[in-house]
Amino acid sequence: MTDRITPYKTAAEYIREQIKGQTPLVGVVLGSGLGSLADKIENPTVIPYKQIPGFPESTAIGHKGNLIFGDLAGKKVIAMQGRFHYYEGYTMQQVTFPIRVMKLLGISYLFVSNAAGGINLNYSIGDLMIIKDHINLLPNPLIGPNMDEFGPRFPDMTRPYDPALRKLARETAASMGLKLQEGVYIGCTGPCYETPAEYKFFRTIGSDVVGMSTVPEIIVARHCDIPCFGMSVVTDLAHDDMPDDYQTDGDLIVKAADAATCKMTALFEKMIEQL
Amino acid sequence: MYFSDYQTAAAFIKERIGQRQPCVGIVLGSGLGALADAIEEPIVLPYKEIPNFPVSTAIGHKGNLICGTIAGHCVLAMQGRFHFYEGYTMQQVTFPMRVMKVMGIETLFVSNAAGGLNPGYKVGDLMMIKDHINMLPNPLIGKNMEEFGPRFPDMTRPYDPELRKLAREIAARVGIDLKEGVYYGDTGPTYETPAEYKFKFIAGADAVGMSTVPEVIVARHCGMRVFGVSVISNEAHGDFSDDYVNDGDDVVEAANAASKNMIKLFTELIRTL
Repeated sequence: MTDRITPYKTAAEYIREQIKGQTPLVGVVLGSGLGSLADKIENPTVIPYKQIPGFPESTAIGHKGNLIFGDLAGKKVIAMQGRFHYYEGYTMQQVTFPIRVMKLLGISYLFVSNAAGGINLNYSIGDLMIIKDHINLLPNPLIGPNMDEFGPRFPDMTRPYDPALRKLARETAASMGLKLQEGVYIGCTGPCYETPAEYKFFRTIGSDVVGMSTVPEIIVARHCDIPCFGMSVVTDLAHDDMPDDYQTDGDLIVKAADAATCKMTALFEKMIEQL
Repeated sequence: MYFSDYQTAAAFIKERIGQRQPCVGIVLGSGLGALADAIEEPIVLPYKEIPNFPVSTAIGHKGNLICGTIAGHCVLAMQGRFHFYEGYTMQQVTFPMRVMKVMGIETLFVSNAAGGLNPGYKVGDLMMIKDHINMLPNPLIGKNMEEFGPRFPDMTRPYDPELRKLAREIAARVGIDLKEGVYYGDTGPTYETPAEYKFKFIAGADAVGMSTVPEVIVARHCGMRVFGVSVISNEAHGDFSDDYVNDGDDVVEAANAASKNMIKLFTELIRTL
């Protein structure tokens, strides 16, 4: 049997060399809404994905593909600028490769963000939602022989999103006067957006927002026991009973999303400060 | 897989078991290996000796075919099954069912350990499977093998009504509390999140597990009668306590504790065949 952990170790060793043996406290996946957090990282070491052995390469146009190591709010962080989505054609092993590499680099927390479609009828465009739980409708990234070096064959998923980090987020948001939603993220492959019938289905089974990322990363992070925090920015709204003349106001969405991303960036920074 | 791959495996097994003609195939699921000990005059065939057979890797799973007698009837039992989450293809997962069919076996008994979704279920309960919801990839995807069955198999009665009726009667007679419900087949290997438990219950399922459904689909495709029982090995909670953890060892333990009733039920049901 080939040594399946070697590619992860090789990538981690390369990165460790670039960051001079320092240990990041937090791994951050800069999804939609968090891009500007990258600009706040001080003393940055920028490592393009294509230089890291074994790393998948981002193919999506306009997507950056860098690992950024540095200081954020006084803490060492390693941030992924650009993630890998299953709908792009990557295998689940590729999608989740960076998470295991960050585990080997010694991160103690994983923070992820995404843009998601609102399903909960009480949500508005621009709302921020703490992910309290998820429903996975993507292929499970742990299918295949288990890698005991990372975790158990049958990982518990009772608390995929760390209750203490969620509490910290609620308290931090309250101190900043930020209103947060808290709900269930349903992860689908995409790349189609949902039909009205699919929106209705997802609402019926208990989800609040829908997106095409995050869940594989969380499953692999929880498998190797990393406490996770996730946040969605609601960028469009689902209606399964849209009037015939309903049209999405693109400008409104962009404005609301921009405002939300400022808030999310500030919240993540303040939370990381307290870790 | 070609038809000849199944034939080769079947011929090898037939040669090893001599004059015996099993009338039922049995898949012994998680922690239910004890039923194997109830098989009289066993002939044990390790999977690795059987041509084209996949080899089992799961923890606590043995990898043997056992041919012998239960309640006066010849059976062929799988000690250890193949799960999709282990990385096998669906063709590998369901390979043994078609080998059984080629050997002339017309009835399949399956067991598994499953998480309870129905709030009325307790750890150690036995649930007769009356129906399933398949959320695994369908094992019949690909070119249809006409030798086994039709392109579009009917799934109106995946679990044989006559066998279920017999099982209910037996359970009542010997004093086993037998639930009856819907099994939701998912890939795993992660256990469900609380939101996923809720979803699956809303969808109409009573128990959730990571096996069985592919085997049943392939068995029904080739016209085998199927009977299935789940051992409820953990309970779903809408709200989990702060210190709650899913534990694989607990699953195995609960399955072992329930295996006595399981063996009794299967034995008496085989007696009626």
